[in-house]
Amino acid sequence: MIEPQAVTAEEFRRLCEFLYRRTGLVFTETKRYYVERRVIDRIEATGARSFADYFVLLRGDVRGEIEQFINAFTVNETYFYREDHQLRCLTSDLLPERTRLNGRGRTIRIWSVPCATGEEPYSIAIWLLENWPEVDGYDVEIVGSDIDTRALQAAAAGVFGQRALMRLPDDLVAKYFVPLDQDRWTILDDLRSSIRFTPVNLVDSGDTRPHGQFDVIFCRNVLIYFDDASRRVAAENLYETLAPGGFICLGHTESMSRISPLFEARRFGDAIVYQRPREDGHA
Amino acid sequence: MPDATGMRVLVIDDAALVRLYYREALERAGYAVDEALNGLEALEKLLVAPADLLIVDINMPQMDGLTFLRALRGQDGPNASIPALVTSTEAGPQDLAAARSAGANFYLVKPISRKALVEHAALLCGIPA
Repeated sequence: MIEPQAVTAEEFRRLCEFLYRRTGLVFTETKRYYVERRVIDRIEATGARSFADYFVLLRGDVRGEIEQFINAFTVNETYFYREDHQLRCLTSDLLPERTRLNGRGRTIRIWSVPCATGEEPYSIAIWLLENWPEVDGYDVEIVGSDIDTRALQAAAAGVFGQRALMRLPDDLVAKYFVPLDQDRWTILDDLRSSIRFTPVNLVDSGDTRPHGQFDVIFCRNVLIYFDDASRRVAAENLYETLAPGGFICLGHTESMSRISPLFEARRFGDAIVYQRPREDGHA
Repeated sequence: MPDATGMRVLVIDDAALVRLYYREALERAGYAVDEALNGLEALEKLLVAPADLLIVDINMPQMDGLTFLRALRGQDGPNASIPALVTSTEAGPQDLAAARSAGANFYLVKPISRKALVEHAALLCGIPA
């Protein structure tokens, strides 16, 4: 058992710097306990004898430790139909605007990033099935991405507990899930196969660019974990992955206007959404 | 609501969300629904599980809907005459004519409401309204 005191102030600083360079996530002295707890878990899991030993393993990416380390720092607490006013806005305003420009049959691309364990992209799919009468008129592609590969595995498996389903009406649970045991449900195969899950680091354009361009991006409650510099890089990467005229939805406490001048803020009902300006100059 | 109990529908579409959307509407109306992701898979499924109605998308990988219908209509045996409802986002008269000549019994342009889907399914299955 390694004691927290085993991590010195200098080691803590080097660790936070490493994490920042890799992910853009910022941890300061005030999050020391949070960071230490996770590092000690990783030290024990790898069998390293000290922090110094562990840091050598980490920097050398021995047995893929960088990925494991990053996985340990992500926050995956979410649930189905979270912030559903944005889902309402998706079908009442955003998709009609995107589809008006192009004919039926075209592909509509939606990106959920970070998607954690899949609740958001699956919520989008269920919402479209329930609330968008034109769902069969377009080739809808939903992509869920996250930096946490362990979360992506769970997302692809599609097994959820009561906490994840607490906001989803019972009739929708009955319709789109199969009970697995007393308090776990598996999402229907057709829903699972309707979403593509990919790893992505939002501050690495080499990671975001291959995803192409999307009509709508849901990027909720991740920019708050970045510092100003990483936030700007992430915003630029998101801008590039939006089609001209495409929309991005952030968490309700976040504001893109504070981060980047690239987007135009638009209001639809009680939802604020940011738009990449269209190339012809129209909103 | 017409009684579709015991009627089997094979939904052939490469888009998982579309299959799910049609499946849910049809099951609620009493049909038993099976799915295939393309024409090739549909031909294979029909070898072992008969169907009373086919709902066929046109643009699909591996084998598109019209190629599938021509292959099916050219077969010997009861499967050759299963009624087929073709669905497509294409709405031109030439698209409808192509579907007809491939063996479609009815052509619906997507997006299709749940109500329209179920009504036309009943029509093609000979279920009285």
